[in-house]
Amino acid sequence: MIQFYYAYQPIIDFFLLSVGFGYSQQIALRAGVFSIATAGFAALGSYCVAILATKTGVPIFLTVILGTALAAAVGGLLALPLARLRGAFQAIATLAFVQIILSLLLYGEGFTGGALGIVGIPREVNTWILLIVVGLTMYVMWNIGRSGMGRVFNALRQEESVASSLGVNIGKYHIIAFIISGAVGGLFGGLQSLYTFQIEPHNYGFAFIVNVLTVVILGGRTTLLGPIMGALIMAILPEIARPLAEYRQAVNGVILILVITFLPNGVGDEIVFWFRRRKQARQQQHRASEKEARDAVS
Amino acid sequence: MLSQQILNGLVSGSVYALFSLGFTLIFGVQKLLNFAHGATFMAGAFIAYYCTISGLPFLLAIGFSMLATGLIAILIDLIAFRTLRNRGNAEFPALVSSIGVDLILVSIAQQVSKTQVLNFPFGTFPIKFYDLFGLRISLLQIVILAVVAVLVAALIFYLRKTTFGRQVRAVATNERAAALLGVNAQSVYLQTFFIAGALAGLAGVLIGLLFNSIQFLMGEPYMLRAFVVVVIGGLGSVQGAIVASLLLGVTQSLAVAYLPSGLTDAIIFGLLFLVLLVRPNGLFGDINAVAGGTRQ
Repeated sequence: MIQFYYAYQPIIDFFLLSVGFGYSQQIALRAGVFSIATAGFAALGSYCVAILATKTGVPIFLTVILGTALAAAVGGLLALPLARLRGAFQAIATLAFVQIILSLLLYGEGFTGGALGIVGIPREVNTWILLIVVGLTMYVMWNIGRSGMGRVFNALRQEESVASSLGVNIGKYHIIAFIISGAVGGLFGGLQSLYTFQIEPHNYGFAFIVNVLTVVILGGRTTLLGPIMGALIMAILPEIARPLAEYRQAVNGVILILVITFLPNGVGDEIVFWFRRRKQARQQQHRASEKEARDAVS
Repeated sequence: MLSQQILNGLVSGSVYALFSLGFTLIFGVQKLLNFAHGATFMAGAFIAYYCTISGLPFLLAIGFSMLATGLIAILIDLIAFRTLRNRGNAEFPALVSSIGVDLILVSIAQQVSKTQVLNFPFGTFPIKFYDLFGLRISLLQIVILAVVAVLVAALIFYLRKTTFGRQVRAVATNERAAALLGVNAQSVYLQTFFIAGALAGLAGVLIGLLFNSIQFLMGEPYMLRAFVVVVIGGLGSVQGAIVASLLLGVTQSLAVAYLPSGLTDAIIFGLLFLVLLVRPNGLFGDINAVAGGTRQ
């Protein structure tokens, strides 16, 4: 077990970070918001932590909290103008948000280090911390999913006009979804900068957006298992497909097309749905046999 | 100096127009974002480059590359869009699958070019400069402006005056009603994709000539610029896209010349954000079109 851990530690850590970013992306999609702003939130969180940790004496624990809070606040603010937009327009607006953040990071050289980024961030995060934080995030997501808020999100995703006719305040729940997405993105962005001890704006560009989207699309957009399955595939795939290492991006592209075309719910969601259907079928069978027994008695 | 910058801006703006027209055409007809458009643009430059160095005359190379990128765009429609479109509610799935196509094309280009920056061989296009009212303008810039003007006029004529164009507009307005009236929607989709791909391919060749550099990631910044253009011009509006492209080209060259260079992107995307807030349908878009409000 320990040997396995040491051999695959970088992959495990990569997997855990991907799961975290995946939840940030998932919660927005889950509420029916076509946001791809997770890259921007992650950049905010990681730069906030990196700058505070290298230039001030703020305790590390506090820097992560501040980074999370900053990204959450920006997420909430971003939701206000986005409330007027839907679909493709939301995707474009969040893409513009990410580009603005990136170009400001590149521009503010004295503060952010420009294109070279920030180096020498204390390496305070290891696999166990990542594991604990992913666990906590899952616990929060699990509770959101089971609560009224989760049901509102599901309703918003499936049919917004119905949700609104049932008295759901759409704007309010979109803001909540953005705040959660921002907080989770900022949190894992901060952890990432404390893990890789070196960050640059380039890390949070188009490739980051695509990777996070891939995790959620492969895994699934509604269940807790989704991002885990997606990140697992993304972590294991390069190991299996070693001969295709040069074409890794192309392989990712092929998988994206195949999954979205033939398995639109994602691998993780399909597994969960299969178990749910089986459970329902069993319950129905059970009820039918009970009814039969009752009929036989009377 | 100022008028020289404006001229340079107009030239790069006209190439933006060529690139964005295809993008906005696909959005206007299908209501889908084609993220692989930047990769099609890059493919155009690559194909023209390899045709030129293998000895084909340059004009023939351009024609061949436009044909090839048109066919690539048709393939994109068949592989990434058609199944999803037929299933309905394809907005998000199509975005994802076109990103998939983008990854594939970029990865192939990276392997083919071995991650190097390619240049058209010296003398592919005659380097000549003219003085025009005190402005310095190269032959290439004049040709670009002329070619783009002719193509844009042809596209507008095609969309307004021909049967094909009427079919395209009918499908854009209401696919089902158009199909009931005997319009073959699938063939309209293939046509729009072919036109969009060919225009993007030509734009790729022109940009490759203008900056004399071709590399596998060249599509990405243009893709992002196209978002700005189509939002400011109104998604799906041809005239809006042209005006917005020229506006963007001029704004950009002025920002580069007179403002700290790092801020150009922040200004452009800030502008995009502002337009989305104030007029989500764009400056020239149909005010009645649905951008906000409840999703259909």
